[in-house]
Amino acid sequence: MTKILFSDKLDKCVERWKSAGFTVIGPVQRANISTYAAVEHAAELEFGHVLPDRSIKDLFFPQSEPMLRYTIKKESIDTSECLPPSGPRIIFGARPCDASGMAIDDPLFGWDYKDEYWFQRRNESVIVTIACTKSDDFCMCTSLKMSPDSTKGSDILLRPLENNKGWQVEELTGRGREAFKTIADILQESSEQVAPLAIVEKKFDLDACVAWLQNPEHFESRFWKEISMRCIGCASCTYLCPTCHCFDIQDEGDTYTGIRRKNWDSCSFALFTMHTSGHNPRSTQSARWRQRIMHKFNYFPGKFSVNSCSGCGRCSRQCPVDMGITETLQEISKLSQ
Amino acid sequence: MTENIHNTQQNIYKPAIMKIVGRHDEAPGVKTMRLEFQDATDHQFFKETFRTGMFGLYGVYGEGESTFCVASPETRKDYIECTFRQSGRVTSALANADIGDLITFRGPYGNRFPIEEFHGKNLLFISGGIALPPTRSVIWSCLDQREKFGKVTIVYGARTVADLVYKHELEEWQERSDVDLVLTVDPGGESPDWKNRIGFVPTVLEEAAPSPDNCIAIICGPPIMIKFTLISLKKLGFDESNVYTTLENRMKCGLGKCGRCNVGSIYVCKEGPVFTAAEVSRMPAADL
Amino acid sequence: MSIEKQYRTRAKELLSGGAVKMVIGYGKGTTANRRRPLFISSPDDVERLLLDDACITNLSGYLVSEGLLSDEKRVAVFLRPEGIRAINVLAAESQLDADQIVIFGFDVDGNEVKALKGIHVEEFSDVIGSSKEGAPEAIEEALFERIEKMSPQERFSFWQEEFAKCIKCYACRQACPMCYCRRCIVDSNQPQWVNTSSHSLGNFEWNIVRAFHLSGRCVECGNCDRACPVNIPLRLINHRMAEEVLGAFDHFAGMSKTQEPVLASFKKDDSETFIL
Repeated sequence: MTKILFSDKLDKCVERWKSAGFTVIGPVQRANISTYAAVEHAAELEFGHVLPDRSIKDLFFPQSEPMLRYTIKKESIDTSECLPPSGPRIIFGARPCDASGMAIDDPLFGWDYKDEYWFQRRNESVIVTIACTKSDDFCMCTSLKMSPDSTKGSDILLRPLENNKGWQVEELTGRGREAFKTIADILQESSEQVAPLAIVEKKFDLDACVAWLQNPEHFESRFWKEISMRCIGCASCTYLCPTCHCFDIQDEGDTYTGIRRKNWDSCSFALFTMHTSGHNPRSTQSARWRQRIMHKFNYFPGKFSVNSCSGCGRCSRQCPVDMGITETLQEISKLSQ
Repeated sequence: MTENIHNTQQNIYKPAIMKIVGRHDEAPGVKTMRLEFQDATDHQFFKETFRTGMFGLYGVYGEGESTFCVASPETRKDYIECTFRQSGRVTSALANADIGDLITFRGPYGNRFPIEEFHGKNLLFISGGIALPPTRSVIWSCLDQREKFGKVTIVYGARTVADLVYKHELEEWQERSDVDLVLTVDPGGESPDWKNRIGFVPTVLEEAAPSPDNCIAIICGPPIMIKFTLISLKKLGFDESNVYTTLENRMKCGLGKCGRCNVGSIYVCKEGPVFTAAEVSRMPAADL
Repeated sequence: MSIEKQYRTRAKELLSGGAVKMVIGYGKGTTANRRRPLFISSPDDVERLLLDDACITNLSGYLVSEGLLSDEKRVAVFLRPEGIRAINVLAAESQLDADQIVIFGFDVDGNEVKALKGIHVEEFSDVIGSSKEGAPEAIEEALFERIEKMSPQERFSFWQEEFAKCIKCYACRQACPMCYCRRCIVDSNQPQWVNTSSHSLGNFEWNIVRAFHLSGRCVECGNCDRACPVNIPLRLINHRMAEEVLGAFDHFAGMSKTQEPVLASFKKDDSETFIL
């Protein structure tokens, strides 16, 4: 006997959560794209995708975020903080790869200096993850030693039932338990068969890749140019990635008042590391692609003991020229043989 | 490497407001500003945390922020001095600011020169052109406690006489009997009444031939100068772990999150900007 | 012999003989229906080249990647009619020397691939002429019609909703052969002409500026539309601008390598009384 949330009761849960003060956010299909947005009713939620086009990263680290408002006066300057809107949120229907992505970025945003914008949102969000029963050719969670039912970063894990009528509930954290207390009477004790998990083939040998990357002799290998010849240097992969976190700081305003914003930026852009002097340490696309791979699988784990990748595969799925992390790591796996 | 003293301010992106209390033209396009904190808490924090070698992000609201070192020493924390070349949007806005204007400062960030480990040792400072400011911070931090250190030698050069920065302080150092200043300009950069050396910094360094015994070398300069100076220092018998330098890279956040300033796995803003030459030699040269 | 085999043989000849240093074509992608850009420098690798109706991406943009053509050697490239027009536009704008480009022309009719005869861009004027005659195939024909029937306010709301998705990844720009500026207008910060933030204003500014910068230059290859990770129907905007330019100036981008850019040339008998 386990706790089951039947999908025909989901709308009641949404109502209950809303009355308890939560904003309910979930996967929706809007304007020809699947993304996460706040909903009023369960009917708006769309669970049919392998995973939505956009990740939940947008909910914690939006593409453009006001940080400070400044007002320049005669004898002084006033700076006020523009913190994110406060209020608890339930993100219902995250994927394990998205939820783990957020947990991966926690140590970065808290590295000595605590980024309030990230943590306020993290602390106010309950992540309810639905395990995957479907996968596609681009999923690679298992290659990153995760799985279609990873619990990393989630507060609740829901396992879809075989009859497709709902989900089996696994409460993982105190925050999750608190949120599900509000719907305790809607959940039912039942013995339902859980659907089998998606099968995701391992695509590369992660340990061999990391070892290859850590070897300083490979930094200037010809491999980097060969593998990245078709990369066009856009930011599709980095922006859709749940763990990519690079950003720019921009002021927008007039002479007297304005807003200092944090905007997404990407190491794939040619001008990302350009010095004012004109010197650019990463002046070729191959150097920039190398940085991306090294950062995710060498530098980040070196500092935070976890690879900066959750295996969602969006980079490969969306790349305009069919590149992505998978191919590079598959080739490196071969090289390490 | 020395531990990172990190800031515990409320909002990590919120800058301190500084008033420009002094301005000085050092060289064509190069200015020094002296700044005073407008908020006592911000100033207190700076006094508690600033050590020589650390840097800050100096900005003008509406234009942006730019990264330079703190050019004033850790022995004089009533103000901040910075020296910069006007080269882009933010530095132009800073260059056009007047005495009395308010600008922003975020910091101090980064690691520092562990000068207490240099007590009792001889110091060799080598710098070129507009890279004197970070060195100058260390020089004054040591000269303000002169008795703690051995021999102090400063080798400094610029392309031309006009490009030398801190000209008045160079005169001061030249006059001091407890400092050996070796001043040079590139061949062709001398003025008719130039009485000091003529030659590139690494060449002049080899001519001066300071002894590596019990000596710490501190180099700040453009990458090409550092490269050749390191070769000269090796020739003179210096060990890489006794040679300190600073790296710079394009920065935006200054605190390790925006993912921009790394050289290989090392983030210049968090694990630098101060490095030993040994550490720099372990970094991938192709990422510099 | 299939077109694919013919072109592989041709590629092998050109590479072994040293006539070209590289062949840019299509290869197997991650899934059965994907093709990825392929760069072949050795005659032994020509078997990796594929040619079928899944070969859609316009590869001409790679020709202006930094340094590729600076050694004055020739490069062969698989191009559809839009890609061939792109060569003309790039040549007319002095971005490449058309003599360095050896064209493996092809077009797709239904599922069938047919070869287009010719080596250098001058030999394809018939093909380009018929492109101008025929209606350019709009991938989202129905959507285009729907928008045309909307009132200005409805159109504005439509685009507002679409641009709200924009994340400023610049995939549209990077995928476009005509967006070759080393420093794009959005990268300029003295002054900051276009907001870099992806809020409503920033997104509108970017997409509209790009549409204007492409007017009279866009060959409607659809690279931008396919590249956009958030499915904004960019091609429709560029199609509309192309229609306007055709109507107002009888200008069809990519007719020849000496065609003057429509928005950057002035003639005394222009219908406008001023330079705009």
